[in-house]
Amino acid sequence: MKFAYYPGCVAQESGKELDLATRWVCRALGIELVEFPSFSCCGSGFVDEANEVLNVAINARNLAIAERAGLNLLTICSTCQGMLTLANHRMADPKVRARVDGALKPLGIEYRGTVRVTHLLRVLVEEVGLPAIRAKVRRPLAGLKVGAFYGCHLLRPTDEMGGEGGGDGEEPHSFEDLLAAIGADPVYYRGRVMCCGFPIQFVKEATANRIAGHQIQDAKSHGADAMATPCPLCHITLDAYQNKAEKAVGARLDMPVFHLPQLVGLALGATPEELGLPRHLVPTEPALARVRPSGA
Amino acid sequence: MADTTISATFDVYRFDPAVDRSARYQRYTLDLAPHTPVLTALLRIRAEVDPTLSLRYSCRSAICGSCAMQVNSKSRLACETQIGPEIARHGRIVVEPMHNQPVLRDLVVDQTPFWREYERVEPHLKLDPARPMPADRPTSMTPEQVERFKETPRCIACAACYSSCPAVEADPEFPGPMALAKLYRYVVDPRDTATRERLVGIQAGGLWLCLRCHLCTDACPKDVRPSERIRDLKELAIAAQGATEPGSRHAVGFKESIRGAGLLNEMQLVRRTYGPLGLFGQLGQGLRIWRKKPEVVRRPHRIEKVEEIEKIYAALDTGSEAPK
Repeated sequence: MKFAYYPGCVAQESGKELDLATRWVCRALGIELVEFPSFSCCGSGFVDEANEVLNVAINARNLAIAERAGLNLLTICSTCQGMLTLANHRMADPKVRARVDGALKPLGIEYRGTVRVTHLLRVLVEEVGLPAIRAKVRRPLAGLKVGAFYGCHLLRPTDEMGGEGGGDGEEPHSFEDLLAAIGADPVYYRGRVMCCGFPIQFVKEATANRIAGHQIQDAKSHGADAMATPCPLCHITLDAYQNKAEKAVGARLDMPVFHLPQLVGLALGATPEELGLPRHLVPTEPALARVRPSGA
Repeated sequence: MADTTISATFDVYRFDPAVDRSARYQRYTLDLAPHTPVLTALLRIRAEVDPTLSLRYSCRSAICGSCAMQVNSKSRLACETQIGPEIARHGRIVVEPMHNQPVLRDLVVDQTPFWREYERVEPHLKLDPARPMPADRPTSMTPEQVERFKETPRCIACAACYSSCPAVEADPEFPGPMALAKLYRYVVDPRDTATRERLVGIQAGGLWLCLRCHLCTDACPKDVRPSERIRDLKELAIAAQGATEPGSRHAVGFKESIRGAGLLNEMQLVRRTYGPLGLFGQLGQGLRIWRKKPEVVRRPHRIEKVEEIEKIYAALDTGSEAPK
């Protein structure tokens, strides 16, 4: 199993722990990650707002890099997954394609449209497979109640993302299935498919923080000891800005938030340090303490 | 026929402010064919079991937009939602009134806030009095001009998008997906003469509070794709007026910030969006994060072949995009 690895901006900088955990888990499961130092930012949805065709073009360039190497592309961020997938769809519009080709061809770049964009979550569930993961679990996360938080762009618009993102459209459960496979107890709550507030963090902070706070409260009221997300932007909002979310909703939240591969890594035997857990703003130790020792 | 029906359990939201202190869910169980629409089932309940059940509907054909409600937590038209798949997926059918609008009784909501936002975008043609439309012949449009309306004329104002929108829920300043999709429809209408003032008005009027979560596009029974029309409006607003609001400054700042290195420069972006003074206000939070994640203040490394990015920008980011 071999992919063009698209880490995205955040996992290369302030979300470095996500990159660490991804590499650890992929090594443990035999997923080969091929790096391309020429990958650019996906635009994160913001470039799309400012200039749709430009956004398609920078992502068509990214896709062309993977295509030249004959590889499908693996993302570890719901937003990167969304932007790259949308670029694939929008390139099917002849008018968009003509403008994008007009910019790329003089650079000797051509994207034929053959790259499949897939998120680590989907690779783990559908390609590695839950039985194979279950067989490698060394430390089941028994007793840990986890609220999955998917991130919008992994799931929607369903017409575009249904086949490539979460994969299960209206009622996603792939993340919860994965959590169950590593021994954790998935918690179902309304907020799991909702927005974290990140896109308007810079527009109207108070509203963004309130939205984040409500999602965390929702997970908590359904019994979650921790949350987990396949999106580093959701992670910034839910972890690094949780202090602001607490102020916005007027309640202590104390909710540890894991990146998806960190929980998988813990179950497969990685140490918290190997997965970058000490880098979190909300301490993860209380959640880890909930895990029942094996055999108990 | 008995073997073709299924036993369907409905948990229906009930609330009569004249009698009830709080809402309750009433259970009804009916034997129905799997293809029965939820609306038909509710009308049968009202006719045969409980005449006090209140709901709003009219055409029963997914044209009038009256019967939108929450079916198993999704905003749907009850008339086009069949019970079979709902039962298969959830085991029962929970029917609730639409969100983001106060409940008047049972499944009937007060749509005042929804229509207020609709009226606020002035959903009618604004013409130049000096150039009235000819009364004796139709006004012609080119196929390209018609294409720019995209899916917006299909909207039936059912409010499923408004009901599903977390920005509406969180912030009364957000006009909601339907009002913005309608506004888009007039912004791209070649007959309308108020394009610029419409875009200027909405840029400061809540446009940038859209979360891009695409819940509206998923909820829309007519595939209007409101979240994409909101995206279109954002690009048009920047083209018409420039980046005047925090949201548009952030979008343009983001676009510019990946230019130099090909990757996001987090510090530079925060400075661009907030300005030097605003940046000062973020210092405390920045310091908190920096202690754990020192990379937040680091410049990103430069990607290989970053000059390609610059050339793509030169070809496609000329500032004259999106002509009417």
